[in-house]
Amino acid sequence: MSHAGETTTVLDGLVDTGADAILASGLLAEELGIDLDDHEGETSHGVGGKYHKAQYKTVSLRLHAGDAEISEYRQWEAQVGFVQGWHSYSFVLLGSVGFLDRFTVTASRFAQAVAVEERETFDDRFGVVEAA
Amino acid sequence: MKPIRTDFRGYEGQYVAMDARTGKIVIADEDPKVVLRKAKGRNHVVVRGRVPYPDEPVPVGLG
Repeated sequence: MSHAGETTTVLDGLVDTGADAILASGLLAEELGIDLDDHEGETSHGVGGKYHKAQYKTVSLRLHAGDAEISEYRQWEAQVGFVQGWHSYSFVLLGSVGFLDRFTVTASRFAQAVAVEERETFDDRFGVVEAA
Repeated sequence: MKPIRTDFRGYEGQYVAMDARTGKIVIADEDPKVVLRKAKGRNHVVVRGRVPYPDEPVPVGLG
């Protein structure tokens, strides 16, 4: 993540198709120097069987390939809900708005890998799905 | 594609960072801030989460 010239460490993101939003540990807001009192909105989410308050801020997200140099990434902007005191299993949870609506994501437990491709790749592969 | 299989044994209860190319754990500490600070700016180093203890309940999904 990046914001106003500050960047976080490179982190694993947990892809969650059941999550509406991108959520991140409040520790990352600290790394970015973000004052969460100046948030763009807040809401409660159920995560890991508990409710957490997320405070949203628009930041830049950077996607690094597993074998890429730290300077090689794809960057886009999205609202991220920062949650104070939440960093038990992962520091970043990648949900629909801001991630799954931007890319075609394919997960393989067998390969133990996730492929992130251009959004249009889904239509190229399966055709355009018409609404009923 | 050859899967990367990381051996997390011995790191239970600690936050870890690994080398993304090999899966080897290169930083571990009970304080997540320490791991974030030590990993920052290091090429190919990716911060994972906390390694649970074997008897720790693990949620099915996070939602």
